[in-house]
Amino acid sequence: MKILIADDSRVMRQIVIRTLRQAGYDDHDIVEAEDGADALAKVSSEKPDLVLSDWNMPNMTGIECLEALRNSGSTVPFGFVTSEGSAEMRDKAANAGALFLIAKPFTADTFTEHLDGVIA
Amino acid sequence: MTTTDIGARPVIDELIDGPTVLSITEEAWISLVGEDEVLVPIPGELPADVVSSWVDVVGPWTGSVVLTTSRRTAEDLSRALLRESAPEVLEEEDVVDAFGEIANVVGGSVKAVLPGHSALSLPSVGTAPEIRNPADVCRIDVLWRGEPIVISVQGALPALPPHSTTP
Repeated sequence: MKILIADDSRVMRQIVIRTLRQAGYDDHDIVEAEDGADALAKVSSEKPDLVLSDWNMPNMTGIECLEALRNSGSTVPFGFVTSEGSAEMRDKAANAGALFLIAKPFTADTFTEHLDGVIA
Repeated sequence: MTTTDIGARPVIDELIDGPTVLSITEEAWISLVGEDEVLVPIPGELPADVVSSWVDVVGPWTGSVVLTTSRRTAEDLSRALLRESAPEVLEEEDVVDAFGEIANVVGGSVKAVLPGHSALSLPSVGTAPEIRNPADVCRIDVLWRGEPIVISVQGALPALPPHSTTP
């Protein structure tokens, strides 16, 4: 399975990769994107099976990326990993077609809770 | 004076307290810095050479969530976040990224407990925004590995004049 991780923070991308490993998802190809625009391009070029995306990013936000994907007909499974964990943001994410929203700070258990059944 | 007196915008003490900010910061530490990393709620003396990271919150309450510590401690925190992927010599860019991300996570959690709709900025690192209204600050002091860190949730707006409700 190929997982695209979009976050403008390189450190946070490393932490997400590390947490995926700690949660037991350690046998997957990882592709990194540094903002929403990069993620949008890499969904086309890399054809990931899952996108894990931050919300607040320069150039294109995570929600704008998700909306652009859905408008272009892409149905790639998409989840947020973001410091925006309010009920309002969760509703907005779900309405745009996100499968889940993992709020930072997270633990390996939070990942398992949301990703079981999503990651094969 | 607090805005309760004049019935206008709230100050931070009416919305969040120190123990909540401490609890939010502790959760961020466990997730980002490490499970065994402890914050001791004791004030320490910050050195002259400090660096801050912050995010701005804009909404019914507008201000910043600011972390301030010594440059050395900000570098140690960055190494702790990067773990095995930390380079031998840290670049300024790594510290900006890592220290900024801690402010982002703490600030996002602070925003989540504030009432109403607010927007969160991308993180900044450098010299902290100045305190405009000392009555609109919720500050906690902690020690991490014996080194002082200050977390300040501070309003961006000056205090309202005492007679602002009169036309």
